[in-house]
Amino acid sequence: MKYIIGIDLGTTNSVLAFAELQSDGSGKVQLLSLPQLVAPGTTESKSSLPSFSYIANPAETGQGAYDLPWATNRSFAVGELARTRSADAPDRTVGASKSWLCHHAVDRRAAILPWNAPAEVPKISPVAAARQYLQHLVDAWHDQFPDSPIADQQVVLTVPASFDPVARELTREAAIGAGLGENFVFLEEPQAALYAWLDQQGDAWRKMLKVDDSVLVCDVGGGTTDLTLIKVEEEGGALVLKRSAVGDHLLVGGDNMDLAAAHFVAGKFAENGTELDPWQSVALWHSCRMAKETLLTENGPQTHPISILGRGSKLIASTVSVDVDKSALSALLLDGFFPACAIDDAPQRQPMSGFQEIGLPYESDPGITRHIAAFVKQHCVENGDVVLPKHILFNGGVFKADGFRNRMLKVIGSWDKKSDGEQPTEAAVTALAGGEDLDFAVARGACFYGLNKHSGGMRIRGGVGNSYYVGIETAGLAIPGAPRPLKALCVVPFGMEEGTELSVESNPIGLVVGQPVSFRFFASKTRKEDRPGQLLDRWTDEELLETDPLLTTLTVDGTDETFVPVKFDAKITELGMFELWCASAVDGQESARRWKLEFNVRDKS
Amino acid sequence: MGLMVATKAFFKLLTNRDLSASFEDFANGKLTVPAAIEAPAATPAASPKKPKANPTPARSDAISLLAALQREARLLDLVNESLDGYTDAQIGGAARDVLRDTRAVLERMFALQPLTDAQDGQSVETPAKFDPAEYRLTGNVSGDAPFNGTLTHHGWQATRCEVPKYNGSGSAALVIAPIELEIK
Repeated sequence: MKYIIGIDLGTTNSVLAFAELQSDGSGKVQLLSLPQLVAPGTTESKSSLPSFSYIANPAETGQGAYDLPWATNRSFAVGELARTRSADAPDRTVGASKSWLCHHAVDRRAAILPWNAPAEVPKISPVAAARQYLQHLVDAWHDQFPDSPIADQQVVLTVPASFDPVARELTREAAIGAGLGENFVFLEEPQAALYAWLDQQGDAWRKMLKVDDSVLVCDVGGGTTDLTLIKVEEEGGALVLKRSAVGDHLLVGGDNMDLAAAHFVAGKFAENGTELDPWQSVALWHSCRMAKETLLTENGPQTHPISILGRGSKLIASTVSVDVDKSALSALLLDGFFPACAIDDAPQRQPMSGFQEIGLPYESDPGITRHIAAFVKQHCVENGDVVLPKHILFNGGVFKADGFRNRMLKVIGSWDKKSDGEQPTEAAVTALAGGEDLDFAVARGACFYGLNKHSGGMRIRGGVGNSYYVGIETAGLAIPGAPRPLKALCVVPFGMEEGTELSVESNPIGLVVGQPVSFRFFASKTRKEDRPGQLLDRWTDEELLETDPLLTTLTVDGTDETFVPVKFDAKITELGMFELWCASAVDGQESARRWKLEFNVRDKS
Repeated sequence: MGLMVATKAFFKLLTNRDLSASFEDFANGKLTVPAAIEAPAATPAASPKKPKANPTPARSDAISLLAALQREARLLDLVNESLDGYTDAQIGGAARDVLRDTRAVLERMFALQPLTDAQDGQSVETPAKFDPAEYRLTGNVSGDAPFNGTLTHHGWQATRCEVPKYNGSGSAALVIAPIELEIK
């Protein structure tokens, strides 16, 4: 192994950072330049690869227009070209495939993307899309480092903290398919962002964070928002960092804001009698992103002109412009996505109109601050009182505009008990300085984590961010028409460390031999005290979240038993994967007769 | 697909006099294959290209730069449009976006930097031996170097030169922007 590699497989952009390992275990983190098609027959190297895939019409292929330095006769393109084609040929473009990976209503190994595309378009599965992006990164690596196969390097692949075991399993499948080798490890994205900050600070972080402080990592990506709480603790006189909670998977991000802004500006164009075609709408989206960054910067201008260039070659003749003013855009984006709210304000569940796409279960409440309020109220509690996190680390391109950062600090500060609920108290919560590199921090942080892991340097502890349960139907009199009461058996406690396993102490469960048995599967981010073997009688929908069921078939091996009594063995692998096994509960057979449970990701509708 | 191309070529020949003249010559054996016959049969996404003749097709970097400026900033559309009949405000409205995007392209590919950190009006001295490509002396130039003068322009230099690479066909090597067709 010569290199440490960090990969950020993002919803809208993917990045690869790497460091050459020095003899003292250190290394300098840098970004791999990623050659990609920007137009047919034209490649350019960029630091990030847009996570889009364009499926070419057969008439367009065969002339080498989609060739890459390492591939010929391609009928698809990933990266910048695919991103721009998502505007004018949406039926042939796959985007946001990562959000589909944790969408339990669809079969994620089935070729379903582009969603709702006409029948003649060859489709790919969400897993295959992820594999394509990773494959591109792997190929770009091999193109530049032909003597250092990626499978022989230490690779750290980031996933959202809120990814459930199934989404991780599917990501792993894509990664292995792309040639990453079996030895890569997963890292949660908000943790990677904090590692990037630690790398940037050097040893200075030990002065900036104090024992018992906590850091809220708020990672607003293109399509998702990921929350993580990290506590500073003391162990043997040294500061250690411990991840104490992760938030739900929130499908709201920077793209929603750009889209909302574009929607608003399109309305202004319509007032002036200009209807925009789809191509212009996307140009508008692009312009709105820049307008957002300009207008929501604290000392920025009060108005910003947005022009849409004419579509044809007569550019000036058909260009239209409107002036967008700061107050209107601030009201739309700050009050829409970062509304002032009290800590007791729960996210609103009713469906909201507007920027929603059919297919993905986007958040019904785009108010990120309300989701944060719910998170803080749930997880930042000491002795029954809410204790606000001391620091916030912002991550994601959205926070390039300081208007968003300041609004967040103000809203969270207003939850302080010393505050009057309107104005934040002085420095109740502060932003961790740094983080100028918002687009690349996750990949860089992942690489820095890999270096630390290798050299035994500082690591954030935490284990799994959920406790896991299997559903057990209780024995008892069957009542016609009523399902048997379900109990939830805890199989993995919150915080179980990577690379450990345990046997779940429970009464043996009789499983039928020779036919598939299915278990309902639940995860909880809030029940941190449950121990393995504990049987829950009742729970609320908020406490336990059901994902895909687990399946196994007990093989018949010569005996004439019709059922086998089993117990569960749970394992969290070194790379952060959850595994569950059924082991025979018959004395002396525990290790000899084991069956692995697999997630069933097929369509359940 | 062959039929599609033939059909499209037929209509193209029907409407384009120059092309049909050259096609006639071609059909009569007077000309070698004119690449232009196939090119207009473009689908919206890409001008169809012949299979690669050689592994490194020749295309000037200048064309690749123009193609990028047109693709990302629409600079060619702007400079080729007659300004007659437009108010300065109209021109400004269109130019603002084009210039912004042009700058982004140039910045990415060439990372332009002033040649000197000195500000306009400051006093600057040349080295004793200098390249006239680096210093342009104006006014009363007499005597021997080093010269001392007032800075009137800081100059520009590229600190990088990364133009997109072309690996398309030889026949489309001079194409800067494809024909765009919307299929209903």
